[in-house]
Parts: sequence; structure tokens; C-alpha cells
Amino acid sequence: MHKRLHMNPIWKKELVVGSRSMKMSWAIMGINAFLIIVVLIVLSITNMSAATSGYQYENLICLFPILGCIECGLVSLIVPIITSGSISGERERQTLDVMLTTPVTTLSIAVGKLGSAMSVVMMYMIASIPVMAIAFVLGGMSWWALLGLFGMLLYLGIYVGSVGIFCSSVVKKSVVSTILTIAIGVGIIIVTTVILYVVIATQSAMCDAKGVTYTGPGAVAFIMMLNPYSPIVDFMMRVMMGTGIDRLLEEMGTQSSIILAISRWWIPCSIVINMIISFAFLKLAARNISVTRNRK
Amino acid sequence: MLTIENLTKQYGKFLALDHLNLHIDKGEIYGFVGPNGAGKTTTMRIVCGLLKATGGSVIVDGIDAIRQPDDIKRKVGYVPDFFGVYDNLKVMEYMEFYGSMYGMERREIADISEGLLELVNLSDKKDAFVDALSRGMKQRLCVARALIHNPDLLVLDEPNSGLDPRARFEMKEVLKNLRSMGKTILISSHILPELSELCTSVGIMEHGRLVTSGKVDEIIDASQGNQPIHMKVVYAETEEPLDQYVATVLKEQPFVEKVSFTDDEVLIHFRGDDLEAARLLNKLFDHHIMVSHYYREKENLESLFLEITGGEENA
Repeated sequence: MHKRLHMNPIWKKELVVGSRSMKMSWAIMGINAFLIIVVLIVLSITNMSAATSGYQYENLICLFPILGCIECGLVSLIVPIITSGSISGERERQTLDVMLTTPVTTLSIAVGKLGSAMSVVMMYMIASIPVMAIAFVLGGMSWWALLGLFGMLLYLGIYVGSVGIFCSSVVKKSVVSTILTIAIGVGIIIVTTVILYVVIATQSAMCDAKGVTYTGPGAVAFIMMLNPYSPIVDFMMRVMMGTGIDRLLEEMGTQSSIILAISRWWIPCSIVINMIISFAFLKLAARNISVTRNRK
Repeated sequence: MLTIENLTKQYGKFLALDHLNLHIDKGEIYGFVGPNGAGKTTTMRIVCGLLKATGGSVIVDGIDAIRQPDDIKRKVGYVPDFFGVYDNLKVMEYMEFYGSMYGMERREIADISEGLLELVNLSDKKDAFVDALSRGMKQRLCVARALIHNPDLLVLDEPNSGLDPRARFEMKEVLKNLRSMGKTILISSHILPELSELCTSVGIMEHGRLVTSGKVDEIIDASQGNQPIHMKVVYAETEEPLDQYVATVLKEQPFVEKVSFTDDEVLIHFRGDDLEAARLLNKLFDHHIMVSHYYREKENLESLFLEITGGEENA
């Protein structure tokens, strides 16, 4: 006998409640309007340059990284806003206690909240496909690139959403939670970049002092795998230039075949690492929601 | 159905529950009474698995609520004193949401919800948005929600709190229906006359301890003889001020503990039985004190509560 699969009830409820709100329609309209403005600006620049060098539609391929970066930025901003009130909002509404008297686990609550946030964000992204498609129709981009971009946005949303849910379980105010989520995201980017920069600068200075050729940061470069945006950068590089971060490391002088081999798999490696971090954030959020913690 | 043994809950240095012991039989409606901060809500939250106890045990139908908090959730339905609802969610969807939290199938939830909404008199509101319901309706809906998984024990924390008289009456009818269905209920309320009408047993809590517990009638009977006497004195043959003379005479009599005067009444805190009360009246006549009315308060849950808790903050 097979057991019927049940959709996470919190996820389902959030979708029902969210879909009845006008917020979603307004957000879709706002995002698409913004993307269209960007596309129109790029098209008008192409038009202006056509007067001197003729129409070069292949230049419209530059829409892909521009729109891709905008979409990444939107996900990085929208997801914290949606998830920041997920747990704190339940507390404010006084609905969390009743939820906790049911057999649903606190991890299920956190996952349900993340799932509903991701559904909303993916709805926004899917609604922007017609605008994004301009870069593909006019710029000759492959549909696999578009699919890959959505995969990247999904991954980024899960990462940022997990941080947002964790923050929502820690702080009481939704606004503080949003700011904290963005601060953690920016903090991770800054810390990883600064560490790598300091290592490269130090190693480079030491090599100069010794009079030897600098051969790259070595395994320290992998700290950038903790940066949630690094697989997206690698993906964009591969789509636009056909090479990824591995080529960068090679150009810096890296000779280690192991480091180069791993860096060729930058996207899956970084995504796996960041998904483990996401899961850890969700587990921590579940722990914070848990009633068995000694709170009044 | 519910057995609590030596239940202790400590918040820092504050002892919220002090070795609480309680037993509720199946089908019983147990009323929890006590001043604010006595530990009623803390006890209820521990029973529902919402709070971790410092010590002791809570057994619901053979399941330890402290050691098996996940298992207890299928045994208990909880209506908190304060709760919120979701915007943009209809009554039937609200029931479906909570039913699905218990892993119930959609069809099963729909069938059970129909009956429960009828029980709480909300059948005609099943397509209404939860947020648009009145406070009383929301409260009744919350009771229906707590019954969705057919729990063995229903825990109601101040279900009448903040309701107008009409809504209170309707809630009382719901609780009477539940009583006739044989549900085991643990309920706390500020409205003591309603509790004494509904409950089979009551427990009075103070400072985290159960001061008294048992069948409503038995408790009231056991405390007979402690009720104060109300009296109105119209005249006394004395040169002294009337109040002073009456107080002096009363204080000389046995079983009189305290005498206090209101605008036109004398309140006598009297420990004797009815025969002694009659003798006291005779003594007043002997001292030429003329009384226009003289009656002894009837013992009820409210007076008993005030007596036990020393008239502290309301229940």
C-alpha cells in the first residue's frame, strides 16, 4: 500500500493566503516594469550606436548579465522581506503557539515558510520570462542559459531565505530581521572577499620579496565558495565567455592540478556547500522555534 | 485521563509551579481557578507540550507529556487565552489547514469540520473569511479547530475572556454540548458562576500550588460555616455611637472574627454554624439592638475562591 504524499501544510496555507493578496500582482507588475525600462534603455543605446556602426543585434547579449544581475539583486532583496516576518509574524499574530500544539515539527514549519517564500519569488521570476526572452531572441542566447539562470536564482533564494527565516526566529521585529538578513549576506560577501584579498596581497608581497613568481592563492581561493554569489559569477562567466573561475585561477598562476580540477566544478561544489549552510540555518531556526527550549 | 504529579516550573528564582498534584478522570470537566499568576496557564501549557517543566510528571491517557511531547500533541486540543487568525483564510480553509497539520486527508477534514462547525454554531460561516468573524465566533472556531483531531483531552485557557454576554452564552452552550459528548476538559475561567455550573470538579490554585480540589458540591459543602453575615441595624438603646456599640457587642460574641461597616450594613466574619448564627441574633436582641435584616451569605465558588485566596486579585 502506498502512502499519499502530503504537501507541507504551512507552505500550502501561505500560498493560499499570499495568492489572495494584491501584493503579488503589484510586485509582478513592478518587477516587469523595471526590467522593461532596463531593456528599453539598452535597446535605445543599440539604436543610437546603429547610426555609426549599423545594427549589431548580437550586442544585445549584454542584456543577459544585466538582467541576470538585476534578478539576483531582486531575489536578494525580496526574499529577506518575505521571510523576515515568517516566524516573527506568527509570534506577533499569536498563531505560533497553536501551530506548535500540532504534530508538525519546527523544521517543517521553517521549511514550509521557506518553500512558500520561494514559490512567490519563482512566480515573480517566471512572470519576467517574456522580458528576459528578449535577450535570447535578439541576442541569440540559448534557452539552457535561461534555465541555468533560474536554477541559480532558485539556489540564491533558498540561501537568502534560510538566513531570513533564521533571523526571523531570532528577532521579534520583522524590519530588524530584514536588515539582519541583508547584513549577514553582505557580511559573508565582504568577509570572504577581504580574506582572499589579504591572502593574495600577502602572498604576492612575499613572492616579490623572495624574487619568485606568484602562483596564485592556492586552496585559500576556495573560501570564495562560501560566497553565495560566486557560483552565479562562475555561471555568468561560462555563459558569456565560455570560461569560469578556474580560468581566473589559471591566469593568476595556479599550477596545482587538484585545485584547478576542483575549481572547474566550482558551481556544484559551491552550491552544495551553501545548501549545507542553508540547512544549518534552517535547523537553527527550528531550534529557536522549538517549545522545548526553556522560555516563558 | 490526566495525572499531574509533583509538577514544578521555575523561571529563574520565581517558582511558578510548586509540586502540583492533580488528577482528572475521563469525561470530567475540571475548572481551574486562581488569581492571575497562580500558575494556571503555565500548567496548561506544560500539559499541551508548549512548555518544558522543571520537574514532575504529566500523564495524559498513559503518555508522558514531558518525555514524549510529540506524542502528546495528538492527545490534546488546546485553546489559548490569546490567539490570532490569518488574513485571507476562510473558515473551512482554516479547519483544513489545522487538519492537515495532523496528517488528515482533505475529505476526512471536510467531513469532520462540517460536524464541528455545526457543534460550535458556525455552519453558515464556513465560506466566510476568518478575520471577518466576531471575537465570539473566532473563539468558537478555535474550539472547533482544537477538536479537529478528536483529542482525548481539551484544554481551554480562559475561553470566555473578552467576550460580550451574548458570545459568553453561546460559548457556554458549546461547552455544554462538549460535556454531553463526554469530552474530558480542563478549563480555566474568570467567570466563576459559569465554571461552577459547567464543571464537575474544580481546583483552586494559589502561588503555584493547588489549595483545594474536588467535586464542586463537595468543596462548597466542606466549606459551609465560613460565610459572612450581613446585617442592618436600625436602632440600639445606647448613649454611645451606634457603630461603636454594635461593634463592641459583636466582638464579645463567640465565633465572630471580624466586624466591618459599609454604608448601611454590618458585615460579620463568622465561623460558627447556622445554630450559632441564630444564637448571635438572639444576643443582639438581648443587647437591645434592633435589626431590620440579617442573612448569611450562601457559599458559592466565588465566595469560596475569595475566602481561600484572601480576596486577592480576581480569578
